[in-house]
Amino acid sequence: MRLTFGPDVETFRQEFLAWLAENRPSEEEMAAEPAVSSAHVPEWARRWTRRMFDAGWLVPGWPPERGGRDAGPVETLVYLDELTKAGIPRTTNPQGLGIIAPSILDYGNEAQIRDYAMPVLRGERAACLGMSEPGAGSDLASLSTRAVLDGDSFVISGQKVWTSGANYADFCFLFCRTDPQAPKHKGISVVLVDMATPGITVRPIAQIARPEYPDLNEVFFSDVAVPRENLVGKLNDGWAMANGSLAHERGMVWLSGVLGLERSMAAVLPEAPAALARLAPAERAVVADGLVQSAIDAVAARCLGYRGFAKLVRGGSAPEQALMKVFTSEANRRLALRAAELGGHRAVEVGAGPDSDETWMERYFITFGGTISAGSSEIQRNIIAEKVLGLPR
Amino acid sequence: MDLEFSEDEAALRDNVRAVLAGICPPAAVRAVFEGKGDPASVWSRMVELDWPGLGIPEEAGGLGMGYVAVALVAEELGRAVAPGAFLATVTQFAPAVRELAGPADLLARVAAGEVTGTVALAEEGGWEPAAVAATARETAEGWLLAGAKRAVLDGAQAGEVLVVARAEGTAGLEGLGAFLVEGSRLDATPRPVIDPTLPLADLALDGVVVPPDRVLAPPGAPGVAEALERAGQEATVALAASTVGACRVVFERTVDYAKVREQYGRPIGSFQALKHRMADMFLAVERATALCYFAALTIAEEDPRRAQAASMAKAAAGECQDLVARDGLQLHGGIGVTWENDLHFPVKRAITGDTLYGNAVHHRARLAQMLGLVA
Repeated sequence: MRLTFGPDVETFRQEFLAWLAENRPSEEEMAAEPAVSSAHVPEWARRWTRRMFDAGWLVPGWPPERGGRDAGPVETLVYLDELTKAGIPRTTNPQGLGIIAPSILDYGNEAQIRDYAMPVLRGERAACLGMSEPGAGSDLASLSTRAVLDGDSFVISGQKVWTSGANYADFCFLFCRTDPQAPKHKGISVVLVDMATPGITVRPIAQIARPEYPDLNEVFFSDVAVPRENLVGKLNDGWAMANGSLAHERGMVWLSGVLGLERSMAAVLPEAPAALARLAPAERAVVADGLVQSAIDAVAARCLGYRGFAKLVRGGSAPEQALMKVFTSEANRRLALRAAELGGHRAVEVGAGPDSDETWMERYFITFGGTISAGSSEIQRNIIAEKVLGLPR
Repeated sequence: MDLEFSEDEAALRDNVRAVLAGICPPAAVRAVFEGKGDPASVWSRMVELDWPGLGIPEEAGGLGMGYVAVALVAEELGRAVAPGAFLATVTQFAPAVRELAGPADLLARVAAGEVTGTVALAEEGGWEPAAVAATARETAEGWLLAGAKRAVLDGAQAGEVLVVARAEGTAGLEGLGAFLVEGSRLDATPRPVIDPTLPLADLALDGVVVPPDRVLAPPGAPGVAEALERAGQEATVALAASTVGACRVVFERTVDYAKVREQYGRPIGSFQALKHRMADMFLAVERATALCYFAALTIAEEDPRRAQAASMAKAAAGECQDLVARDGLQLHGGIGVTWENDLHFPVKRAITGDTLYGNAVHHRARLAQMLGLVA
């Protein structure tokens, strides 16, 4: 165990920081056009993504032929850390970069890589992930959106829901049922669907916080014809990709959870002394104690994540990793509620939040995105109990 | 930051665990709890294996393996619910002697296992050096102590007691001093505690005179408060590690039990309500473990975050204990609250470890100050 990384890693850090200083998007351009959805790529973000990709900094852990620089896992961690410290998003289309492009690179053919994966990496196209359905949330394998092969086309009918960024995406990485007779895990395929194809209706879902900026959507497919060559991988082999894509996501999730929690803590702590001073003296200690517990959570999350990460880097297994999603998302939710306590009655006032236009309470609502999406906390606990602790089903 | 064991650290951990399985098996732990045990023989085996010198620098006669090694042993001691002088001597007394620049030969004698020790710090007011009310007054014969110490670990067993007392009329962090007193010269009252592997005693100081050559720091000497604070961090993290070790064994036994205990024709571990509680126990144990290792590293590497990290580790260990002791007992059902079952030994070890050197609430209150949230 040691607190610092070796000199080679520090050299890598300095190299990235030097590049970042020269090439980063300015605070002004980011503030002028903030991304309002997980597939919204503002002009500055297109330029930024392209600049990073061309310099080998968008996906540093990948081999050079895919636009990376063969950075090791520790270097990749340092890279993500520094990007977050600088307050710059790596992408405004996280599922496109983190799940969809790598899945196409792993499973797709040359044309799909050229027309779908590479444009995502160059910031030219944005992608959404068509997984959940009204009858298939945590139990994804029960999905019923149908794709029927008819000559050279798949004809797709059905409905997706909770699809992040479908209202801005250029194409969808769509999980659909291609063999209704097969056992449910074995009849699923993935098809790339251009969102401009006739027969697709996107209905944004306004949420309880920031309803004017919907990110989640219902997506309806009514006899949507998609070229047969848009099938990714083999027919009826999509379930492997569901696991594969989640693995891509999971590899990143622990760190983004930690960074998000640290960022929330860093936003709350400077506000706290003045806000505490406005409370009645007897309330102060109680509210402060809640914030202390969150401060401990934030340090613990990093320590626990780094510990699991170090085990993986050494080639071992890391049961800690299974805990990170439920830990960080729930810690973030606890912190948001405690921060709201700081505001007293102002917690429910629009525009009275810590950073401009968001109320404390709206922040709290937004944190439910973390505890519900990508495997709810309840499902995570089942997984931990069964897969890690070995408890019987 | 790399929080996984190096090969040497893993080898040390495995070795310590194997040794403890031999010298401190469950039957030996039960014997201690039933008043028939022999903690002294457990300690003498540790001495033969050079454990007292693990964290003492080589130039002072130790093995110089640093604080991480000490913390790993403390965790294993908690796991085994081992008695013996290690925690008081190695994680409390030796760091305080070192930080106060005490005689080098004293540390060498600790490393050689020739002397055991403890620190008499806490009083009714709590665990802060600032709360010390015991006094020391200079007389022709030496320093005359007055006052009483509470909850001194190994207070009735330790060969040497490092007593913290202050000059009359001083308060806070001013006027503190430190004195070495042979344990045999102190009036010790053993407390009837739930965990005899962490024996506590109250010490009466009135009338004890400390000769000049046993004064580690006269009251008001510069740096005493800081030295005690730094030594206290080592004691705190070791107790956190011991607590987490005990919690982990409670957690593991609970999961094992839930896999085999059947009701309604199925293992109780198949019920979702119980699964979720065990997942939360697992998180609590891993959260506290990770913070203990981080805190140990900040001490070993002299990192400026060590004060905060130590309090975070101790707070997390205490919170972990709250949850794991409660649900460990609850999920075992009736058998868990019987004397016959071994579960209560690590439960009591964890609870006791939480209370020493400040419990979770104490350390969260300290953190609120360190983070600038309260005055």
